[in-house]
Amino acid sequence: MSVSALKKDIPGIKTPKSLSARISWLRDYYFKGTDRAWNNEFTSWTTGTPWDVQFNEMTFYIVPEAYMLMQTMLGSYRQAARKVDLDKDFWSWSIVERRAWFVRETMLHYVPKEILPGDLIAGGRFNIQSSFCLNKKEQKTYNRLTVGKNGARARMKWFHDHGYGNAGATSGHLIPGYEVALKIGWKGIHEDLEEKYSRLANKEKSGPKGEQLRAMMTAATMPRDFAAGYAELCRDLANKEKEKTRKEELLQMARNLDRVPWEPPETFWEAIQALWISHMLIMSDENYPGPGISFGRIDQYLLPFWKDSIEKGMNREFGKEILKCFWIHCNTAYDAMIRNGNQGITAGFGQLITLSGMGKDGKDLTNDLTYAFLEVIDEMTPILEPKPNVRLHRNSPDELLDRLVDMISSSQGAPFLLNFDERSMAGMMLEAEKSGISHLIHEGNVYDYAPVGCLENTMVGNDRSGTVDNNLNLLKAVELAMTGGRDLLPYKNPMTGKEEKIAQDGPVTGDAASFTSWEEFWNAYKTQTEYIIKKCVDLYECSESIRAKFFSTPYLSCLVTGCAGKGLDVTQGGAEISHTTIEAVTYATTVDSLLAIQYLVFDEKKCTMAELIEAMKKNWKSHEVLQAMAKNKALKYGRDDDKADELAAKVMELWCDETWKHKTISTGRRFRPGMLSWNYWAGDGYIMAASADGREKGQFLSNAICPTNGADINGPTANTNSVGKVLGGKSETAGCWEDYVNRLPNGASHTITFNPSIIKDPEHREKFKAFLRGYTENGGTALQMNMLDPEILLDAQKNPQDYRHLLVRITGYNAYFTTVGRELQNEVIQRVSHNAF
Amino acid sequence: MSTSKQNGILKARVLEIQRMSTEDGPGIRTTVFFKGCSLRCTWCHNPESISPKPQVQWIGTRCIGCRTCVDVCRSGALSLEGDGMEIDRSRCIGCGTCAEECPSTAMEILGKEWTLEDLTHEVIKDRAYFEKSKGGITISGGEPGMQAQFVAKFLKSLRERGLHTALDTCGLCSKEAFDLLLPYSSMVLYDLKETDPEKHKKFTGETNEKIFQNLLYVSEYMKSHLYPATLWIRTPVIPGLTATEENITGIGRFIAENLKGVVDRWELCAFNNLCRDKYTRLGREWMLKESLLLKKDFMETLAGAARSSGVDPGIVFWSGSTRLEEDPLADTENVAE
Repeated sequence: MSVSALKKDIPGIKTPKSLSARISWLRDYYFKGTDRAWNNEFTSWTTGTPWDVQFNEMTFYIVPEAYMLMQTMLGSYRQAARKVDLDKDFWSWSIVERRAWFVRETMLHYVPKEILPGDLIAGGRFNIQSSFCLNKKEQKTYNRLTVGKNGARARMKWFHDHGYGNAGATSGHLIPGYEVALKIGWKGIHEDLEEKYSRLANKEKSGPKGEQLRAMMTAATMPRDFAAGYAELCRDLANKEKEKTRKEELLQMARNLDRVPWEPPETFWEAIQALWISHMLIMSDENYPGPGISFGRIDQYLLPFWKDSIEKGMNREFGKEILKCFWIHCNTAYDAMIRNGNQGITAGFGQLITLSGMGKDGKDLTNDLTYAFLEVIDEMTPILEPKPNVRLHRNSPDELLDRLVDMISSSQGAPFLLNFDERSMAGMMLEAEKSGISHLIHEGNVYDYAPVGCLENTMVGNDRSGTVDNNLNLLKAVELAMTGGRDLLPYKNPMTGKEEKIAQDGPVTGDAASFTSWEEFWNAYKTQTEYIIKKCVDLYECSESIRAKFFSTPYLSCLVTGCAGKGLDVTQGGAEISHTTIEAVTYATTVDSLLAIQYLVFDEKKCTMAELIEAMKKNWKSHEVLQAMAKNKALKYGRDDDKADELAAKVMELWCDETWKHKTISTGRRFRPGMLSWNYWAGDGYIMAASADGREKGQFLSNAICPTNGADINGPTANTNSVGKVLGGKSETAGCWEDYVNRLPNGASHTITFNPSIIKDPEHREKFKAFLRGYTENGGTALQMNMLDPEILLDAQKNPQDYRHLLVRITGYNAYFTTVGRELQNEVIQRVSHNAF
Repeated sequence: MSTSKQNGILKARVLEIQRMSTEDGPGIRTTVFFKGCSLRCTWCHNPESISPKPQVQWIGTRCIGCRTCVDVCRSGALSLEGDGMEIDRSRCIGCGTCAEECPSTAMEILGKEWTLEDLTHEVIKDRAYFEKSKGGITISGGEPGMQAQFVAKFLKSLRERGLHTALDTCGLCSKEAFDLLLPYSSMVLYDLKETDPEKHKKFTGETNEKIFQNLLYVSEYMKSHLYPATLWIRTPVIPGLTATEENITGIGRFIAENLKGVVDRWELCAFNNLCRDKYTRLGREWMLKESLLLKKDFMETLAGAARSSGVDPGIVFWSGSTRLEEDPLADTENVAE
């Protein structure tokens, strides 16, 4: 049977179900993308000065795909910008006050307000690019610091081009204090700001603290007046509406908006309306749609409203209908660059919602609203936002696991990520210790942690930890240790074709070819690791210090505890918990490379260091035997092999310890370690030279904390055990949460692909649930579960070298997929396609 | 007995250790396949487990054609020709040098030696998953009874650590072997393949009398001991061989008459053809290589026959893959059923 014939047999992806006519229409309309009459594309707004700039390029320094476009974006947003009439005193204010006023003015009086047919939640357009609000002199300084010679942009590009990774002060990526906003309303937030301001000494009032608080007070009235505008719109629409039910809905929406988000909400509908407006205006304030602005424990803080409204007669399905409208709104974030193709969806934005998890004393907090959310996810899937993250722990109820496994089996993969409480909390407790903030994170509140973006753990409402801001290729230190601090290959400019001369960049650690012991090499690696971390820290300081000075976000600061008290913007380190995270990329490739060097050069003496370096320079051409040995004979991380994992743990400890040592100078934020690695492991594989583990230049690097592609030949449990071990495993004496240790407070991304036969019948589902409970004991902080699909198998047929670990096991028979013949492979593909095992 | 002793250290020859096994007993298990079998089943889906000796095999997709193996072979047993590796099995002494030197692991040695300590350490790594799933360790083969000295000590060390153990046996080994193994087996998975002794000899190389006798022995042992506490019977359902109603009913009758209340589960395991290439790699012909998988209806019918054979119908299960509606092989090959 041909490949195309096999492909034809692949059943379609999961389709949404149980959607009302209202939601079906809204969902279908959303997916029409650029064919929609309405969208939430960026609009650009200017003070009208000739030097004005809208586009905050620093927030894209961590997006290599955007580097080539920066100048274009800068220019086109400037060109498309429409003028906002300024207050007569505008230029006499501080930057932060100008910015607060400008965003407020734009959102209230310039950006159009619309409500889509049937929508139950108001608040449409929010994607704006707003002026930096700088005067000529300020703008000149900003330009010099960013795009000037040796400015932040050039330094960031050099760092990336030479294979170190990337770093930049990035927006989003935190959990705002939504719970507080719902409890006291924006009125309460505003009163608190007024009180804090009134307590300032006159001297302070005229200084930066006063400026910040005045800006925040201006920002805090934005949601009130914005809601009033939408209330008016609802009444207009109601007047024109002939259909009785819809008319009443619009009037109720108007009544909701009369109260919230200024007053604290009283009903579930009001709560969702208040939450949405509070949330969307952050994206306006930051000029940054969605990424990582996460909702936290939504099934907890919305529960009182849910319960109360249901008790007072709200139909449960209607409650879900409100949530589904909220879902659609979250997805409109992608409209920002909708004309880029693919409906503007370039990657997941990660407005995370956190469900379930433990509370005080290890008690499970799963409730009816948790299940309502899961139903909504199941019924709306496939759709990208908001991204659900389900927290599991030792006492998670069986009913929840059953529900999750059901969802996995009907979606050919999990439409959510799992977060594991005990391991995650151990990391947060370590952070408290390392940063001396045990009064902010302790046993009595650590269970209220929640992930942002993808899986990055933070506390809630008072924490910004720059979870995507520094992405460092650990592998670079192996390269520098081999070369004594120089790039292995010269950098070639892809535009000009010109090759740079290789220069001494890292510390001189000596000629590796002269090393006679593994320890000598390890010491060189250690020195180079210290160096690349310091280099990353220094690079980050460039954009961090510029942002602190020129790009404040006073509205967001209202929702982050610490900012008002300190009179500091969240971009200036105002948050009570203020870290920035180094996300290590290429971890397994680094470990495997070190293992290969140990095996080839020192233990087995299969080659000399000079030969190995030569082979890597040639990208293994004419060194295929050595490459095969590096790939296949050296130990690998991810197999639950004690010796390999011991070195892996040592690598982990080294870079983590080094990371904790640093703080930003301008904002005083301590660096903490994590392993997110978004898509860099793919892209940077083309930049980084061949590695000692046998990987060629141009092949993917390893992803986050996962073993290298195809290395986990001992299956999911071994893979999981390796991950848990390198995070620190368990220790009776050194445990941070019970006996759990976790070196990465941010958490680590771990993906496992399962054979769908693992959930083929009730008996196997129980085994799969048990695996997840085992993961709680032995594994990492977060797990993405994929199910093997025909596409993967077809790829494995083509590229068997990448799929050595792919095991087929059907009743007593076990074999690696790539070792069975083509016909039988085709049969396995058929089975996977049809879920027939 | 092929358990070997070198320098006084007891070692066993193990074909493979399979982790997160979900098919060899309750829960999540680690299955240890010991090498060497007392039967020669026509349908054997792990043919590399039959010989007690180490064997080499060549996996073509991994080979980079460097000829290292050919050069290092002291017996001149290897030649890399146009079609792939030729292994002259009459010359190969199973020394494993080729596998050791092969840079790409295309040459593999099947059957490595393990010490008790190392093997125990290896299989307890998944303890957390065993505990959460009520799983444990399955001792399979080959026939583990052929390395009973070692396996008994191995099982004992696992039981002492509080782990659940399952002995997966074909039933053909000495009573002494069972005496060694049963005390440390939490449960037994026992194969009953064919009731007719002549056919059994034809299919497996041995008659079945001793297998049935041993099963009664196991059953008696269980009645007077706390462990093994559970007994599962497994029957391979092979088209044209064991897959007859007569055979299934016969096995059922035996269970009903002799093992009432002792057997917790009787599993009919549908024929599997995925091992076809294993035979090729071992340089052997496979009689069943043309056979199709069984149809689902047929398995249901046999399970029906099993349920009405006199056993408690609740103990009957069937498992395994059945023929797809459009079998890719059925289109192209003219195969008699």
